[in-house]
Amino acid sequence: MKKQLGFLVDSDRCIGCFTCAMACKNQYHQENGVVWREVYPLKEEIYPHKERAFYSLACNHCENPACLNVCPVEAYFKREEDGVVVHEQDKCIGCGNCIRSCPYGAPRFNPVLKKAEKCSLCHQRLDAGLKPMCVLSCPVEAIQVIELSTLDTTGLVHYAPGFPKQPSLNPSVRFRLPKLPEVVRRKNHE
Amino acid sequence: MNSYEMPLVLFTVFSQSAIGLVVLSALRQVGGPDTDLRSIRTEWLAAGFVLLAGLTASVFHLGHPSGMVRALTNLGRAWLSREALTTTIFLAMVAAGLVLMRKKNNLWFSLATAAVGLLVLIAMGMTYSPVSFPAVNNALPFVFFSLTALLLGSSAGLMFVPESSRPMLTRVLTGSLIVALVIYLLVPCIWLSGGTIMKQTAGLWLASPLYWTRIVIGLVLPLALVKLLKGTQAWLWAVILIGELLGRAVFFADTVHTAVNMGGLY
Repeated sequence: MKKQLGFLVDSDRCIGCFTCAMACKNQYHQENGVVWREVYPLKEEIYPHKERAFYSLACNHCENPACLNVCPVEAYFKREEDGVVVHEQDKCIGCGNCIRSCPYGAPRFNPVLKKAEKCSLCHQRLDAGLKPMCVLSCPVEAIQVIELSTLDTTGLVHYAPGFPKQPSLNPSVRFRLPKLPEVVRRKNHE
Repeated sequence: MNSYEMPLVLFTVFSQSAIGLVVLSALRQVGGPDTDLRSIRTEWLAAGFVLLAGLTASVFHLGHPSGMVRALTNLGRAWLSREALTTTIFLAMVAAGLVLMRKKNNLWFSLATAAVGLLVLIAMGMTYSPVSFPAVNNALPFVFFSLTALLLGSSAGLMFVPESSRPMLTRVLTGSLIVALVIYLLVPCIWLSGGTIMKQTAGLWLASPLYWTRIVIGLVLPLALVKLLKGTQAWLWAVILIGELLGRAVFFADTVHTAVNMGGLY
């Protein structure tokens, strides 16, 4: 297997603080309303507890990306060295086909530039030996960059409940599922 | 609910109308004594203008219309590129046909143009059936688009063809109206037995006033008029066109994307 970077989303650690999304915004200064990383609360049908659990998601840098396959102007490419899917905004004509076609809603429309844009896994930071901003900023280390060809997948899930299953795209993301809090009760004295 | 994508609504409906006109015109030349060159040329001229109107509308869908020509870049992978290429070839062939058929109709060229029109329908069907919309990630867009071509092609053709060809077009129109009515009523009901996103799509379609207006104005009313008037009237095309435009708006606006349910069961 070729080297493929992706995200490990540790939902057991995530506290839904949105620091990852804010760090991304601080780094790239997207237009109002445009976000590359979103924090999704799990619905009660998946996580039946009054406290919420979360998935922090951005582009999944799929092995077979829908955005790359549907883009009519070849504005997307996959880096040979690490499998990161990069959008070249100079080439984009703003047709929105990638936005419609990505089942994870990763590409977003920039209403000012009238072009699509998405998470690039901070590849320029990776090249400089730095962590992506979302990973760096997370106070509970709930997001990590992983290398799928060497990853120990014990305890990890590829298609977590609440995340669309698309084997044909093979998204480069793995999840650690949230555990329900344990209720500790005092024993009744006989 | 997504945006109505009006440029795409106009582009798809108009181009499918043009394809329907040309395909039915070619089939008439094969199957019948219809060699009225004047009516064939008028049909092709109308198809050319409608297609041009559709292509013009499609440009307004782009954030950067000046990059329109570059949409042909990814022919190896992107169905959108193939759609752009086949539509351009189809327009060129309609224009060439008008020149070729100045004095005599050309059956083989008409059939070749109709075949390219079918390729456009296939490319369009593939473009608008991405994995992100499970309800239409199948052959349904192609079926919907083919029905639009038949409905608008036959009803528009009635404005141009000689009296001898009207029964044939009327039969095509009546049959297409019945099939379209059954399909458009059944499909949302079948989606109700699917996964979460399909169910949400069915819910939005069935709750949409546009969907029901389209069923009544675009399908039931024309069917009743065909029956009541004992034949078809040329103006029926306008009624069916309104129905198709409303139906296409529902297709783009009310078909649910998988990302809307992130964090919930699929």
